[in-house]
Amino acid sequence: MLETRQLSKTYSGDGTDFQALRDVDLRIDKGDCVAIVGKSGSGKSTLMHLLACLDAPSNGSVIVDGQDVSSLSEKAKNTLRNQKFGFVFQQFFLNGRDTVFENVVLPMRIRGESASTLTKDAATALAAVGLTDKTNKRAKDLSGGEKQRVCIARALIGRPQVIFADEPTGNLDSQTGAAVENLLFDLNREQGITLVIVTHDSELAERCDRLIEMKDGQIVSDKKRGEAK
Amino acid sequence: MKFWDLIKIANRNLFRNKLRTFLTVAAIFVGSFTLTMTNGLGDGMRSYVESQVKNFESDRVLMVRKKVEEPSGPKNGAEEYKDAPDGDSGLDPNSFLITEQQITSLTNGIVGIMTVTPRYNIGGEYITLDGTKKYKVELGMLSEGITQKTEAGKPISGERQIVFPVGLARTFDPNIDNLIGRTATLGYRNGKDEIVAIALTVVGVATKGFMTNTSSFVDASTAKLIHNDQRRGDTPGKYIGFSMQMDSPERIDAAKKVLDERGFTAVTMADNQKRTYDALGIFKIAMSLVAAIALLAASFGIINTLVIAVLERTKEIGLQKALGMSRGKIFAIFSLESVLIGFWGALLGTVFGIAVGLITNKVLIAAYAESFEGFNLFAFTLPSIASVMLIVSAVAFFAGVMPAFRASRLNPIDSLRYE
Repeated sequence: MLETRQLSKTYSGDGTDFQALRDVDLRIDKGDCVAIVGKSGSGKSTLMHLLACLDAPSNGSVIVDGQDVSSLSEKAKNTLRNQKFGFVFQQFFLNGRDTVFENVVLPMRIRGESASTLTKDAATALAAVGLTDKTNKRAKDLSGGEKQRVCIARALIGRPQVIFADEPTGNLDSQTGAAVENLLFDLNREQGITLVIVTHDSELAERCDRLIEMKDGQIVSDKKRGEAK
Repeated sequence: MKFWDLIKIANRNLFRNKLRTFLTVAAIFVGSFTLTMTNGLGDGMRSYVESQVKNFESDRVLMVRKKVEEPSGPKNGAEEYKDAPDGDSGLDPNSFLITEQQITSLTNGIVGIMTVTPRYNIGGEYITLDGTKKYKVELGMLSEGITQKTEAGKPISGERQIVFPVGLARTFDPNIDNLIGRTATLGYRNGKDEIVAIALTVVGVATKGFMTNTSSFVDASTAKLIHNDQRRGDTPGKYIGFSMQMDSPERIDAAKKVLDERGFTAVTMADNQKRTYDALGIFKIAMSLVAAIALLAASFGIINTLVIAVLERTKEIGLQKALGMSRGKIFAIFSLESVLIGFWGALLGTVFGIAVGLITNKVLIAAYAESFEGFNLFAFTLPSIASVMLIVSAVAFFAGVMPAFRASRLNPIDSLRYE
């Protein structure tokens, strides 16, 4: 599903270069549930951005469904992200003044779906996260846990193959955080959606099937759950 | 994403910050209001002039007079006063009198002249239909080849004929058609200070216009009679100019050239109209410049508003891009916001401008209806309104290009991280 070959990323500025990723080779299969952990500056966010085609690598390549992303046009990359990926961010990035409905249907609007499809799909997605009764509420009036569930509904609505979650529970207390985690794992188990979670929350990471640890831009360990250290 | 969705999003974004949008629209409103008013004023004056000059038709008549020497800048010294050659008050001694012999030699050799009419200087004392009730009269003459439009009856076509202005005609008979064919008596003062009366046939009533609103027009031969009778001393046979009727409009340029070489200027009615229109055009452009400055200032308001909006919505733009929205769509949303600001400002400005213009017209007509019959200070035509809307929207679009471009170039990761 997702693959990287000798993936490197260097940020340059002010005359100094910072190598965020060094020759990362990685393979994530369909239906995987992967946690990427590491300290800040370890390169885990950079790796996720490159996997999600939000950024272009300095060297090496990202391969999605057998296709090298660097060969794709800007437009094709937009379409790829819109159709195959879903995103859940720590800071939610909801539009507070808009309704929950408007926030959830954004990927479908970008796709250009008809109004009736939007209504139908939003109902399905909001039912999946248990927020059907909040459909017409303004996003800013929701609690933190509800906001993150709206984000999951937004990630879900386009029937993605992969959901990228960047510190999905970072802004939530442990109880609501656990509910959000359960929701994500359910999607992985029941719908076979590939899950890539970037976190430094070790408890969350432990619940994933596969744990990739990063340090100084390189993968230092990559193990299945239950494997001994 | 559909275009209609983009417009809806842009409109929603504008409503998110109502006060800021309102203030930006208000600035555009002032600009487009000014533009509407200046355009309306220009068109109003133009249509007034048009309605006045179109009352005379002649595409083959040249009006000729001696060239006025070009003033060579402001003079420092004094100019010598010359005593008038004789005591005739009817003619200005400084107005380059020419004699019939001179006219003959001037026109000699010009191809295609049908008739030559000297410009007669005539003044009337009174006009009457029944001989008892007399009215003051202003007289004008119609040169050969010039046709005057009439509201009733026919234009002058023979000798001893007169065309009344509408006001005078209505005084005689509210039903002006009744006047046609009747005999009027015109009184004028001759060179010996005696009142002479002549009989004229009323052939028509002139269409309204600023030369025809007050003057009664007589044919050239009647004008000649009165002119010669009114002159004193040696001025009979001397004129301030003359007109030439050519056999075809194509001969006009050649005739102008010959007369120019002989020291005379010849203009057609069209030339005179063009000069007036040119002056009006310059006036209109000058006023539009004022409106343009107002619009320019307002467009900086749009730029400012959008630059702030881009900063405020950096995260939102980042998210939209992460979710697959193209640069073009982001650009389109911001451009549409800009155009919508322009559109609303233009709509309010033109509607308000038209309302103010029409009310002003009503007030002016109520106050000065007598002297300005048929005159509208402001005229609003669909093309000029449409062009104001279009120009303002275009200005708004161009104002939005820079901020919209900046928004479209934002990097999704950087903008999601933006604090």
